[in-house]
Amino acid sequence: MNAYPVFLREMMIFINKIKRPGYILAALLTPLFYLIAFGLGLGRSVSIDGSSYMLFLVPGICAISAMTNAFTGIATSLAVGRLHFKSIEEILVSPVSYWSIAIGEIAGGTARGLFSSVFIIVIAFFLGAHLPANPLFYFAWFLTTVLFAGLGVFAGFKAKAHEDTSVYSNFIIMPMSFFCGTFFSVDKLPQFIGAFLQLFPLTHSVACMRAGYNNQVISIGHFGALAGFTLLCIWLANLSIRQSLK
Amino acid sequence: MIKISNLTRRFGRRIVVDNLTLHINPGEIFGLLGPNGAGKTTTVRMLTTLLRPMSGSAEIAGFDIVKEPEAVKRCIGYSPQEINLDRELTGYQNLFLHSLLYRMKKSPVRCRECLILAGIDNQGNDMVKTYSGGMQRSLQITRSVMHDPSILFLDEPTAGLDPKIRRTIWELIRSLNNKQIGVLLTTHYIEEAELLCSRVGIMNKGRLIACDTPSELKKSVGAIVVESNYNGCFDYKHFQDRNAAHEYAKEQERSIVRIRESTLEDVFIHFTGERFCI
Repeated sequence: MNAYPVFLREMMIFINKIKRPGYILAALLTPLFYLIAFGLGLGRSVSIDGSSYMLFLVPGICAISAMTNAFTGIATSLAVGRLHFKSIEEILVSPVSYWSIAIGEIAGGTARGLFSSVFIIVIAFFLGAHLPANPLFYFAWFLTTVLFAGLGVFAGFKAKAHEDTSVYSNFIIMPMSFFCGTFFSVDKLPQFIGAFLQLFPLTHSVACMRAGYNNQVISIGHFGALAGFTLLCIWLANLSIRQSLK
Repeated sequence: MIKISNLTRRFGRRIVVDNLTLHINPGEIFGLLGPNGAGKTTTVRMLTTLLRPMSGSAEIAGFDIVKEPEAVKRCIGYSPQEINLDRELTGYQNLFLHSLLYRMKKSPVRCRECLILAGIDNQGNDMVKTYSGGMQRSLQITRSVMHDPSILFLDEPTAGLDPKIRRTIWELIRSLNNKQIGVLLTTHYIEEAELLCSRVGIMNKGRLIACDTPSELKKSVGAIVVESNYNGCFDYKHFQDRNAAHEYAKEQERSIVRIRESTLEDVFIHFTGERFCI
């Protein structure tokens, strides 16, 4: 296993990007708007199960920020590196195993996802929310970024044109942001819709992170599903790398 | 060193490499010459394990390209047609990452040596995107031999470069070959193949149509060419000696006639009946 140079390359590129003015702001803008509009605006007049809407919302926003940045960051980097700059060939032609490439790229996406979403927790803290204390929250957060970084690697290696990654963003990532329990409880929906939403990994991410954030018991079912989806996406990432060489 | 047997690759219904059989000796500079679409790059991509052959087989240093890709990758260097350096990183960072991918020891020292070999030791800490085309090409070729491969694949190493930089790259390739690194280069520049390669394989439409030393290939079609131009229609007649060519030229009263030595382009025209269109 020699995933370190693959990860280091992604980090070097990422560090160069965050030096540009506006890069971090652009990554934070959408979740920040949600936090202010829904958390501060709507949240003042809404409470869920007796506690403030802000405390309900923060783990959800953190999850979508982790998802979006982990997925988009690595999918775009790989698609551009493969199709435009061809720099991924340098890795593919080196004696590094496909698993090492998959793990290194996923680690790169995970770091991007964690970096962006940590700002949400910090900003939410200054807006009146508490800092999460339960280690299971952090573990669920980590699994969420790994999961979507894996999906990002899959999308990046499957893309036949730069625009292809936006298809995943528009048809999978964005709908999940709205429907997987970020802004409302999935349990309050009609049963068949709630059951359907269990097919999406973000539903389980949000459920686990919310329970962890509010020091509630994390459902084994949600945690198992989150872990299962994570393993599936890691496997898909490895598969897409193998298939790109056929 | 490289044994290729009946290697074939299709894209859809189009056969891009068609039953290619070829042996390349250790330490030689072998040139694959042919027009665009001849199948040169596809051949190199299969040999470097970036593309799977559909049938046939190939061995590099005794390792099968399909069954033992990681072993193959350990003993080859590859510089593709397009610049594939990370433009957002510095020259040094590109080399450093390469040294980690190949688990090289003393990598900072080796990186500095390679920057000197590429002639960019003063610009090593600048972003690659600020380099000229020639600097990027030199760095890319130098990076591809950083881990001391036994064979180097160069796909169109001088495409798009000006004549001065092209000669610098040729010197670099020669100096690498002097260190016993075998080189397989693809090119559509006749002059490049004649100057650099000890043997040349000419490809057209996926097939290898001729393979020998440049001088033997030219001898095989006739070392001297009489080029007749009659109302814009060209005709080429090959002769083994200059006297016979002069005799023939005298008979061409109504044509504009030029007598010259054969080139590899003449070999290509002789075998295919087509001009060499890039």
